[in-house]
Amino acid sequence: MSEMESPGKLPPEEGTTSSQQCRNTCSGALFLVVAAALVGLSFNAVRSEGYITLGRDYSSGTSGTVVIDPPVSESGNGGDSEPTAADQGSTDIEPDDGIQRLTFEEARDNFETAEAELRESGESIYLFVDARSRDLYEESHIPGALWLYHYESDRLIEELLPALEMAFFVIVYCNGGDCEDSLHLAADLSSLYGIPGENIYVFEGGLNEWTDNGMPVVAGSEPR
Amino acid sequence: MIEKLKALDATGVPLLLARLIVGFTFLYYGAEKVGDPVAFMKSLKGYEVLPLQPSWIINGLAVVLPWLEVACAAALLSGIQLRSAALLTTGMLAVFTPLVMMLGLSLIGTKPEFQGLCDVVADCGCGSGEIPVCPKLATNCGLLLLSAWVLFSRSDRFRGGL
Repeated sequence: MSEMESPGKLPPEEGTTSSQQCRNTCSGALFLVVAAALVGLSFNAVRSEGYITLGRDYSSGTSGTVVIDPPVSESGNGGDSEPTAADQGSTDIEPDDGIQRLTFEEARDNFETAEAELRESGESIYLFVDARSRDLYEESHIPGALWLYHYESDRLIEELLPALEMAFFVIVYCNGGDCEDSLHLAADLSSLYGIPGENIYVFEGGLNEWTDNGMPVVAGSEPR
Repeated sequence: MIEKLKALDATGVPLLLARLIVGFTFLYYGAEKVGDPVAFMKSLKGYEVLPLQPSWIINGLAVVLPWLEVACAAALLSGIQLRSAALLTTGMLAVFTPLVMMLGLSLIGTKPEFQGLCDVVADCGCGSGEIPVCPKLATNCGLLLLSAWVLFSRSDRFRGGL
């Protein structure tokens, strides 16, 4: 390589010294970086889907950011059912991040209770929330689950907030396994969007465990 | 050996091939990441080498790096700022190739089927989803060599637009 860098010998830029070539190369590289930054940031600002909010922490939920207030009375939330999710979630041994977890059995029980409530009264205090991308949601999701993609939640939350505020048990899930988006979304629901932390649960097994156990799913862009 | 390499370089053919291969590869993977910057951001986070706070660092990289890849690809294919683009692609490959290896090494044993580095399948954030780590490392090493060739080539043939 040292031969290639001999001063004044590079045919493409004859007459220039090695240091000049270095400067030209580096300034050109800087130009490319600045151009890419300008185009990238501009494109990100105008795109309607898949944009990234530069100042937002998408990794919340791993440092104890969920705030769980002291228990509130059921009547204050309009609930007339047994608080099974709260009881079950609070008895589990969970990581010290303030997020309440549900096992598959607990999620299944809550789902079945919700379905029964909907059949009887048309309303339920249980609400499933799908934190995955739109494509995955439309492919299959838990019946009744709302789509709230973690990385676009700041855009989607306004429309869903009334339903989330009405629910006494907000059960968030993603694929399961290595997926952490449900944890991040659960943290954001509490810290950014004002949903009481004690109402939020994460079904860590996610849709994979749900389908592995033969539970029903629906496809399409609507919850049901 | 050096003389043979210099004679080969003087033909301009290796330079042209290197520009085409590196250029189109960066164009393809850059465009994939531009289409889904969120997936790229998650992959960057997966390397666990960048600070999560302040969040604009990792978020900004996820927004800008894909476009930098596209810009470098355009420069390599057009011949404008050729050496500068080669400097950047060489730099990116020199940084990310060891990171891919570290990611692969960190995943050994995390699943029963991940017995060795070449058993590991991971999303390296390269724009191709989950892929076997070893072929990816080999590809990156090849691209690194070709990119360095463009950077240091002294040929005056095939330096312009295609």
